[in-house]
Amino acid sequence: MKINRREFLKITGAATLVLATDSIADVLSNSDFIEALPAEKGGIEGKRWGMLVDVEKCTKAASQGCRKCVEACRKENNIPVLDDPRRTPEWIKIVKVKNEFDDSKELYVPLLCNHCEHAPCVQVCPTQASFRRKDGIVLIDSHRCIGCRYCMVACPYNARNWNFKDSLEMLKEINPEVPRRSHGVVEKCTFCFHRVDKAVEEGKNPVPACVEACPEKALVFGDLNDPNSEISKMIKESRVYRLREYLGTEPSVYYKNLR
Amino acid sequence: MVELEFEKIKGESKEFFATAFGLLILVLWGLYGFLYTYTKGPWVTGMTNQIPWGLPQVTIVYLIGASAGSLIISALGGVFDKEEYKVFSRLAAYLAALMIIGALLVIFVDLGKPEHAFNLFFHFNFRSIFAWNAFLYSSYLLIIVVYLIAQFERKETLVKVLAFLAVAWAVLVHSGTGGIVGFIYSMELWHSPLTPPLFIISAIASGIGIMIPLLVITFKYTNRELDINLVKGLAKIMGAMIITLLYCFTVEHLTRGYVPGNSEALHMTLFEAPFGTVFWFIQIFVGMIIPLALLIYPKTFNSVKWICVASILLAIGVFAERYTLIVPGLSYSKEILPGMVVESVPPFVKGASYVPGWTEVAMVVGVFALIFLLFMVGLKIFDLLPKIEEVEEVAE
Repeated sequence: MKINRREFLKITGAATLVLATDSIADVLSNSDFIEALPAEKGGIEGKRWGMLVDVEKCTKAASQGCRKCVEACRKENNIPVLDDPRRTPEWIKIVKVKNEFDDSKELYVPLLCNHCEHAPCVQVCPTQASFRRKDGIVLIDSHRCIGCRYCMVACPYNARNWNFKDSLEMLKEINPEVPRRSHGVVEKCTFCFHRVDKAVEEGKNPVPACVEACPEKALVFGDLNDPNSEISKMIKESRVYRLREYLGTEPSVYYKNLR
Repeated sequence: MVELEFEKIKGESKEFFATAFGLLILVLWGLYGFLYTYTKGPWVTGMTNQIPWGLPQVTIVYLIGASAGSLIISALGGVFDKEEYKVFSRLAAYLAALMIIGALLVIFVDLGKPEHAFNLFFHFNFRSIFAWNAFLYSSYLLIIVVYLIAQFERKETLVKVLAFLAVAWAVLVHSGTGGIVGFIYSMELWHSPLTPPLFIISAIASGIGIMIPLLVITFKYTNRELDINLVKGLAKIMGAMIITLLYCFTVEHLTRGYVPGNSEALHMTLFEAPFGTVFWFIQIFVGMIIPLALLIYPKTFNSVKWICVASILLAIGVFAERYTLIVPGLSYSKEILPGMVVESVPPFVKGASYVPGWTEVAMVVGVFALIFLLFMVGLKIFDLLPKIEEVEEVAE
């Protein structure tokens, strides 16, 4: 059989079209409710949720082995522990550091997504799967994420994780409140947006799982735009730092006593 | 002026089918690698949260570059009115199309969620250079296809116009690819305005590096005569590219190294195994110094065989260049807490290692095999090669 050029082009064209429509149909039909978009895509206008971390308080407990925030986060957000620590998702982690000028002083610093105002991940995401809500929370729409990992590369804080395995397969208990992430997509700390939305609806102060779990009250969560909130007052009163501020990303996570 | 005639090859020899069959096996291995990763999740790859980009990204950048380089070479005849270069203008353009298809394929199979890929076109993010590239790559492929058809149909004016457009688009496409790396300001080893121009130079270098041996082999096995001056002309461009590349590396590393804060990161990249070894030995010495020497020394420069050796070495050198750009940047963990000595940031460490898993290797090898397979098939169904003049056919 001889195929001439035109026929060849026709065949490849048709094959591409079939593949294309197939993928579109797949995307459209994939409306599994637990994997669906975060229900409130917007958040509330005018709010800006943020966190203040008191490193001194954290060090007090963490140096004794406390990892309550990490455990609470895993439980709340269905995060499994994988065999390989280099691939285990960590939405919040505690790192041990020493001051360059005074190495007798050990500090334990919790690291999590900084929910930047000018978030590099949102900038680089080719499909707008990473987005910033009106209330400042940066989220990933796992339904839209193609798993290219450009955001992980771009994030100055290493806050993002690739889902190497389907998390639900490895968990004994599952919290049905949080959106499911299948393997292949990128995930990270959400500031427990499901808790935030629920609390706001009920007129209460929102408390993410890590903040709730901290025995030293080293983590404070609140509205940075409200001058009367606990967090705003504390930021005004004390010397605070934000990580890699020179990049201009304007993080929403502040650190106190990080020296 | 004598009109240059083109024709298909018969492709009925045993060797032709044996080679095609061998390539097909590799393609199937790659397909299996993809399906395996797709069903089991990225767990089976060699990537980690610290190094989420590895062999596939190195290959993607390499293939896009080689494609852009190949297309620029193909359009030389049209843009600079070099009649003698028209001999391979179809072949080079066809190869450029195959390599960009290969690059798109690697991007696709490497995605964590390939079935979501069409979101790239539904939810375009204008602030993302990656999204712009999705547009650039697809339009680039379209331009090559039209450019090829115009050549097949012998629409001379259109070919000329498209040659200009193709060169411009190739430069855009690969500058955009450079931007993907160069725009990332969270990593000192990546953030650089030099990356896009550097990518164009590497593109032309690797494009010719792949083109020359392929041209020589194809002409040899189809009993066609290839003018050595043509090969030498291409080799001269290649030599100029090597010198420019060496200059760019020097400028970039000196500028970066001048910042005291970068010394540790640069030391890891340039002087510690494995990155230092790859950089000095494969990229600089084997990949560029030796080819340059072969092109400068008159005896080797006058031999098609040695020029082929230089080309292949350079093609490998540029692959190493893509590796020493992408992987060390990720391997050197970002300094999140300046002024602090980090005692432990498991699992993020300085100098993290990356060993590709078998699925990544299979996918990359499979795509390369597919490119060569389609190249052979293309010779059989399209008029890509110049017609043999009957008198020149000499039986061996």
